[in-house]
Amino acid sequence: MLRDRVTSPTKTSPAGERLEEGIVLAVQDLWVEYRTRAGMMQAVRGVTFDVRAGESIALIGESGSGKSTLGLALLGLLARTARVAQGAARFRTKDGDTLNLLALHNEQMRRFRWQECAMVFQSALNALNPVLRVADHFQDTARAHGQREDARTRARAAELLRMVQLDPDRVLPAFPHELSGGMRQRVSIALGLLLEPQLLILDEPTTALDILTQRMIIDVIRALRQRLQFTMLFISHDLSLAAELADRVATMYAGQIVEIGPVREVFYAPKHPYTVGLLDAVPPIAGDEFTPLTSIPGSPPNLLDIPPGCPFHPRCRYATEICARQAPPLERVAEDHYTACFHHDQVDRNRPFAGGTQ
Amino acid sequence: MNDPLLAFESVRREFVTRRGRIHAVDDISLAIEQGEILCLVGESGSGKTTMARMAAGLLRPTSGVVRYAGRDLSAMTKAETKTYRRAVQIVHQDPYASLNPVHTIGETLRAPLLHHHLVRGRRQADDRAAELLSQVELTPPENFLTKHPHQLSGGQRQRVSIARALALNPRIIIADEAVSMVDVSIRVSLLNTMLRLRDELGVTFLFITHDLAVVKYFAWEGNVGVMYVGNLVEYGRTPQVIGTPLHPYTRALIAAIPEADPDMTQAKEKLQLRSIEIPNLLALPTGCVFHPRCPLFVPGLCDSVAPVFMDVGEGRDVACHVVARERGRIAMDDAAGCAGERATA
Ligand SMILES: Nc1ncnc2c1ncn2[C@@H]1O[C@H](COP(=O)(O)OP(=O)(O)O)[C@@H](O)[C@H]1O
Ligand SMILES: Nc1ncnc2c1ncn2[C@@H]1O[C@H](COP(=O)(O)OP(=O)(O)O)[C@@H](O)[C@H]1O
Ligand SMILES: [Mg+2]
Ligand SMILES: [Mg+2]
Repeated sequence: MLRDRVTSPTKTSPAGERLEEGIVLAVQDLWVEYRTRAGMMQAVRGVTFDVRAGESIALIGESGSGKSTLGLALLGLLARTARVAQGAARFRTKDGDTLNLLALHNEQMRRFRWQECAMVFQSALNALNPVLRVADHFQDTARAHGQREDARTRARAAELLRMVQLDPDRVLPAFPHELSGGMRQRVSIALGLLLEPQLLILDEPTTALDILTQRMIIDVIRALRQRLQFTMLFISHDLSLAAELADRVATMYAGQIVEIGPVREVFYAPKHPYTVGLLDAVPPIAGDEFTPLTSIPGSPPNLLDIPPGCPFHPRCRYATEICARQAPPLERVAEDHYTACFHHDQVDRNRPFAGGTQ
Repeated sequence: MNDPLLAFESVRREFVTRRGRIHAVDDISLAIEQGEILCLVGESGSGKTTMARMAAGLLRPTSGVVRYAGRDLSAMTKAETKTYRRAVQIVHQDPYASLNPVHTIGETLRAPLLHHHLVRGRRQADDRAAELLSQVELTPPENFLTKHPHQLSGGQRQRVSIARALALNPRIIIADEAVSMVDVSIRVSLLNTMLRLRDELGVTFLFITHDLAVVKYFAWEGNVGVMYVGNLVEYGRTPQVIGTPLHPYTRALIAAIPEADPDMTQAKEKLQLRSIEIPNLLALPTGCVFHPRCPLFVPGLCDSVAPVFMDVGEGRDVACHVVARERGRIAMDDAAGCAGERATA
């Protein structure tokens, strides 16, 4: 199969080599596909990026862009019908060793999860076992990782629960269904942090929660990061969450990272037309004027039939003939800011989209 | 004066469940004029869908009256009810669930036209179906008539739902979270389409959402009612309610919303609630339902008496003791000021 390579925005060297200090995770040219009745569907298509120690990086993009698949692939949690077709993901452990995540055997992967990297899922109800009390979730996780001192686990669990603004006396004896969605989400976050992982992956941590609960979760995550200093990779279709919590933002479209850079760069000087389109489509709550908004014409692509060249070209107002023929590589457009667009030098957020409706 | 097109008068709705009695809607009065937009906004469980179902005549109020052009829905004759059911159409949140997967888009649109004898014969039905698709910007219509729902994107399916609602020439469209499941990049175009339909066809909208930014966009020229556990806590023109919210709950909601702008959202002033937990609908707090979370809580007042929904001028209403008190004080100061001026003159 012919695949267009992207130039790497990472400073790291090829798979197999040790990761330098300061990089927690290096994903390189990762491809993931699902076997479906209608054929092979490529959900992640050549993703390359680093996660730096201590940073908070957001993966944004609409539903179906491959964000969750990417997160699941890193933790070896892909569905049976999925397959990593190509690529590497290396992780620098607390001891400074480098793990090749895609080649870990079960026991290694089991240890890696929770102790090095934990994931919090969108639906915390599914992530928690309905027949286990919250306290048992903490105890089971600790014991599975060789921590036998239940009292210490309990104390740590209580401490973490207080950090996420929950009352341990009330929450520890409860079953998951006895808690509200926002409480379960905070339990999942506390549980994720139990074994002090370096990296916390959060998949849509605020989606489907009411706005006041969302605000609570955002504030809790910010406070936790200040206190515990973990690295964070979070996935969201909600740009405002990235604006709240990210140091860097990566925009995904049709299984690829099309733009990546510091949060203020990406929001104030976006260089990919898709990022611009997304930003221009979000109605603001601030301001006492009505601003007519435009949306991106067309629809997100069917992953079984991805347009050739730049996958965004059929919806793009900047598209020219080359865009339908060739996939644009990720190019550096500013300090630490990369974008995959042949016409990035024309892209200017202050120029409104002329695309019109749908 | 003419009757409003749709009116809720002291409407209550209870549900009796195994765990007890739920007050899903608790004494709400509201009206929508012909051609207007009214948004209902609130967190999940606040009673929005229950309001929508009562407005559509699908659910009877436990007490109170819902009126359509002055007529009490529950006193309508069979024939009147039939007419009403046609005049009011609902667009639901999930177009996947509301469109029949085995029917083509053409079949979905032709069925109500033929059933209600709005067209004569297949030819006319096809023409009208094509026209409806154009109205919701699914063009060229031929490309869509023979497709099945699964062959369309989420946004396109929602457009089909709107086209189907339009088929019966409704006077009111009730959109219940109609854009909540649609991708961000195409949400605005759906809202723009509905706004255009209001302008061109004069359709009245009861628009329900949990997202105040969507309210601001869609109902800029309309009114918004803010609901909290079955109660209407604030009502007014949208720019005013969002620009200068009066009720502490509305203020908390607006302060909580993150903006897609890093500097702005991080600098935004937050409003600390006393508790973030939504009360149990089976055991609602005494007095003002918001008091356990309210930053303005006054002990002895807010937890003992429910505030009345009070007209505070400029077509705005608020149900809050503290706001009422402040307003009262301002009114008294004004009166005193006027008297003073008169005295010196
Ligand atoms: N278990 C699965 N089987 C088949 N296809 C899947 C599965 N999970 C996800 N997909 C598909 O992979 C694509 C990417 O999905 P996902 O990674 O969930 O995207 P996102 O998280 O950005 O919404 C979508 O088209 C989705 O339908
Ligand atoms: N048919 C029903 N039976 C029992 N309870 C119901 C029923 N419909 C709604 N409710 C309850 O009424 C309350 C309001 O629900 P709803 O109107 O759907 O709120 P919203 O649309 O604002 O989320 C909720 O507590 C809900 O569980
Ligand atoms: Mg996802
Ligand atoms: Mg609802």
